[in-house]
Amino acid sequence: MTRIRLVDSTAIGAIALALVCAAPWLAQAQTAYKAPRNADGTPDLQGIWQVRNTSAASDLEDHAGALGIPPGRSVIVDPPDGKIPYKPEALAKRRENFKNRETADTLNKCYMPGVPRITYLDFPFQIFQTPKYTLIAYEYIHIYRTIFTNGSPHIDGLDFWLGDPRGHWDGDTLVVDVTDFNDRTWFDAAGDYHSDKLHVVERYTRTGPDTLRYEATIEDPEVFTQPWKISLPLYRHTEPNFRILEYECQAYADEAAKGSH
Amino acid sequence: MSSRFCNSILAAAVAALLSFTLAPASAQPPAPAQGPGPGGPGGSPRPPGGPGGPGNGGVPSIFGGPRHVPGGPVQHLADGHPDMQGFWNAGNNGGAVFEVQNHPTGRAPFFGPGKGAVVDPADGFIPYQPWAAAKAKDTFEHHLAEEPELHCYESGVPKQLYVQFGFQIFQPANYVVLTWEFMHAYRIIPTDGRAHIPAAIKLFQGDSIGHWEGDTLVVDTTNLSDRTWYDTVGNFHSDAEHVVERFTEVDTNTINYEATVDDSKALTKPFKIAFELDKNSDPKYEQMEFACIEGNEDVTHYTKDKGGNADVKVK
Amino acid sequence: MKFKFAVLSAGVGLLLAALPALAHHSFAAEFDVAKPITLKGKFVRMDWVNPHSHILLDVTDADGKVTTWSFEALPPNVLFRQGWRKDSLKPGEEIEVEGFQAKDGSANAWSRSVKTADGRRLFAGRPDALPPGAPPAPDK
Repeated sequence: MTRIRLVDSTAIGAIALALVCAAPWLAQAQTAYKAPRNADGTPDLQGIWQVRNTSAASDLEDHAGALGIPPGRSVIVDPPDGKIPYKPEALAKRRENFKNRETADTLNKCYMPGVPRITYLDFPFQIFQTPKYTLIAYEYIHIYRTIFTNGSPHIDGLDFWLGDPRGHWDGDTLVVDVTDFNDRTWFDAAGDYHSDKLHVVERYTRTGPDTLRYEATIEDPEVFTQPWKISLPLYRHTEPNFRILEYECQAYADEAAKGSH
Repeated sequence: MSSRFCNSILAAAVAALLSFTLAPASAQPPAPAQGPGPGGPGGSPRPPGGPGGPGNGGVPSIFGGPRHVPGGPVQHLADGHPDMQGFWNAGNNGGAVFEVQNHPTGRAPFFGPGKGAVVDPADGFIPYQPWAAAKAKDTFEHHLAEEPELHCYESGVPKQLYVQFGFQIFQPANYVVLTWEFMHAYRIIPTDGRAHIPAAIKLFQGDSIGHWEGDTLVVDTTNLSDRTWYDTVGNFHSDAEHVVERFTEVDTNTINYEATVDDSKALTKPFKIAFELDKNSDPKYEQMEFACIEGNEDVTHYTKDKGGNADVKVK
Repeated sequence: MKFKFAVLSAGVGLLLAALPALAHHSFAAEFDVAKPITLKGKFVRMDWVNPHSHILLDVTDADGKVTTWSFEALPPNVLFRQGWRKDSLKPGEEIEVEGFQAKDGSANAWSRSVKTADGRRLFAGRPDALPPGAPPAPDK
């Protein structure tokens, strides 16, 4: 009995201290943002969103500035050191990509940027929701992604620049499972690349009236030793009557080419 | 308190709680797998027809739908407007995508005769100003290499409505959104009563504002650039183009579409096109990504006599 | 992969009635539609890219010189919906492609029909590849 009472009081003391430590965390959990609901009960992600981080698209990892490249901290939250967990031979390829980036980055040919890179390009995009679909329309080269939330399976037998996205709700988070990628896109302008075995799981979670947290877990057993994850906040465009316009990369490139003749 | 200190306290608290437990905590079952895994279920080959599936009796939905059949009564959304959502194709439109106006002798060797989609003026011809008629002729004869879609540009208004492979209509709150598989084009039409963007901004798809007149969606589009054509033979518009479209669902498989096109720089008066939009009711149909510039080789083969860069070496 | 010939035929039949797939550019401005060509050779590979798939064919001429021809076919999305898959043809298979050569004289063409050695017709590049009013397709 005595032994139990000793353990009792020590444990109670520990628990009390723990509660003090945990208080901020508990407070945050209790006031975690609850997004307004669409008519079908799903969280409302609709609106026009854009990153403020203009450097992730240049390089996802920690990097100093360079001409035309803003400096930036890593947006990789896992692994904790913020570095992409390349296999050794893949890291060598990444270095080669970096050297050749002006010609080897397909974005420079106005090709589709792939996923998740399209999310953190510095262009706005608009999320629309209907009961069976979440539709994301990007200003960048008039790309749209139809995220099927009707329980349908992935397509089997084709590959795509943006992959094939199938979504479902996990609590207040839209989880989008993306497969069927080709191997032609990079994650940034620094040569971070993938194979056609790429598998991305995106998570979209409202964090406030005008903010949304975007996470993407990236898996590719041919290139990386383990999955890794990025996280970026997205900000709502609150300007009145804001609308996405057009960035027609190919048309501009054609015009520039004509002008030089 | 430092997080390191708190972490150890929390760990101790957890240990203490566990030591207290009278009954062991029941092991939580692993969370059920959420959603389809990569590559979809199973390994058996898909039935012929791919995403078009066997839903329409095993006949592949190649261009987005079987032959048109009349549908049932129009359904309405909670906001009271007709539910036009689904997959649609431009129906019988006289070959508008080849040539939107009347083409009684066709254009050899490209295509044969057709009425096109112009219903006003009654003769079916675009009422060009003389300079514009001359330019359209010259474009057809010498500059087909400038066709917008050859360069993977969007098709503009109204041509986007009659390009191949059909389109999907979404009706989220305060918007109607149309998406095309062909070259991943889209049009966003707000229905919240806002004004157009300033005239200085020209867009391939223009700036569209929609409103409902009873069961008809009326879409007013301005801010159109002059970078798109009406069809594939060089019928064109200036950046003064202004289009008013009317979408009227008449049954669940049919929308009556008409567009009045005005262009004060190139036309003597407005013209009107009209055709039916037919529903693809294949329940398994999906639109897929359609990259363009990424695989476009055609533009390099266009010959100089058509405004391209290659020499004619055959015939 | 085995394909259902009946389904394919029905699909081709449907194509004859449906909106042609070539309307995104003036096909006859790029290809010589007056003089169809027919080439026999070994299938190299197929590039499943939009806007057009490409069938690559190694053709050996009378002197033994091998030229790799690239025949444009329908977009992969369309082929996929018809039931075709990336392994529908095997590298090295003898095939015969009939189509229209690019006017710039390059080893590029539009494929109107693709036949295997045992007479199967594939990919439907298509008999109705030309819009109404154009020269008719040869007998299948």
